[in-house]
Amino acid sequence: MRIDQDIAETIVSPKAYAAGTPIDDAFKILRKEAPFAIAEPKGIDPFWVVTKFDDIQLIERQNDLFHNGDRSAVLTTIEADKMVREMMGGSPHLVRSLVQMDNPDHMAYRRLTQAWFLPQNIKKLEPRIREIARSFLDRMAAFGTECDFARDVAFLYPLHVIMEILGVPESDEPKMLKLTQELFGAADPELSRSGDAEQGTEAGVNSIAETVGEFIEYFNAITEDRRANPRDDVSSVIANGQINGEPLDHFAAMSYYIIAATAGHDTTSNTTAEGLWALCNHQDELAKLKADPSLINGHIEESIRWTTAVKHFMRTATEDTEVAGQKIAKGDWLMLCYQSGNRDEDHFDDPFTYKVDRTPNKHVAFGYGAHVCLGQHLARMEMRILWEELLPRLESIELNGTPKRMESSFVCGPKSVPIKFKMN
Amino acid sequence: MAETDFKTWQCRTCGYIYDEAEGDPTEGLAPGTRWADIADDWVCPLCGTPKSDFDMIEL
Repeated sequence: MRIDQDIAETIVSPKAYAAGTPIDDAFKILRKEAPFAIAEPKGIDPFWVVTKFDDIQLIERQNDLFHNGDRSAVLTTIEADKMVREMMGGSPHLVRSLVQMDNPDHMAYRRLTQAWFLPQNIKKLEPRIREIARSFLDRMAAFGTECDFARDVAFLYPLHVIMEILGVPESDEPKMLKLTQELFGAADPELSRSGDAEQGTEAGVNSIAETVGEFIEYFNAITEDRRANPRDDVSSVIANGQINGEPLDHFAAMSYYIIAATAGHDTTSNTTAEGLWALCNHQDELAKLKADPSLINGHIEESIRWTTAVKHFMRTATEDTEVAGQKIAKGDWLMLCYQSGNRDEDHFDDPFTYKVDRTPNKHVAFGYGAHVCLGQHLARMEMRILWEELLPRLESIELNGTPKRMESSFVCGPKSVPIKFKMN
Repeated sequence: MAETDFKTWQCRTCGYIYDEAEGDPTEGLAPGTRWADIADDWVCPLCGTPKSDFDMIEL
């Protein structure tokens, strides 16, 4: 079954994700009429569109049957794919991080830093993270009664936390933020490296390759430093780490830094900003939360579901198989549409309503299976601390203009949330 | 059995912790539910890893 062409174009449109409603409407139709079908948007190889929660989970937990690395792990055009393969000696990837790996490499590389991100380890970081959160909220209070919560708080707080964990100096944080936004915002003219909406074009691939090159140059220096002077940070773990008794492959090590330095903050920033935006639009839920702080974890989980900062990942079938009654051929490409899974009417009651007390709230925003987000416990803890610190100080808050999301079909969240507020 | 005998178990894939003392009410596991009393086909609520791939840990 083929998906209606207008809908196929919508689900790959960065502007549709930025606007929100068009993408939710498209997925709503697909879940009802074509929950597991093939899309053929112009300039993109055909792929299966997986819209239902259960199907996403089913595919995500079969990591041998559905690979991350055999084809591009994110949606790409035929033109961009050809260029990347030419640049990378046949590989479809500009980086080789956990996201592009399959076993046995995936497990070996993940184990390397996993201990750092386990709940029992990040708990030790809680006092320092609380200190950081307080400093950003003091900064927010210093703005008086108006600020852009995305730019002035949400972008900066998780960035600072992950950079401390990586051991990147504070003075380099603006550079890390800029490079992250170039990477994830390649389709957004306000954020892309060249200032054009260039995703999927030759210019776009070159821009992303330049951004990756800048990251590699930066982390080469960090690697040299940490090999000479190891510290208690994740960069030292990557720089001095071994897989099967050998140092990490250089490209994989650089890719490891890049994923930590980008995904390690951007998705948390997106979720924090979108969560606040949701509360501004649902003052009854905000009142509930302020009256009962034990709902903070519920609000966090709902903001993660609501935002679904990572909109999709692609998988490639390693053999002929069948899912949802559809015959999948070896080599077929599948788009796991997390935002759709997190609005699936068969899994969530009233999925388009924001509820801080939603129970149960098992979502797929962090993925599922072996590739589930490595930093999910850190992300939850950072958000819990921020809300624990912000809510008691917040007297009132409302939107002070129209928020805007980044134009992206991959990682997408607010780039601006203007607010008016009163806090002590 | 005394409360101090409660154990904690951790998922090898994602780090989810099951604490017998707290249970996991969202999973239908009441506080005090022992690991041994959880069905063998139960999977990690965060990543789907089988119960057999959890390790007992001390926090």
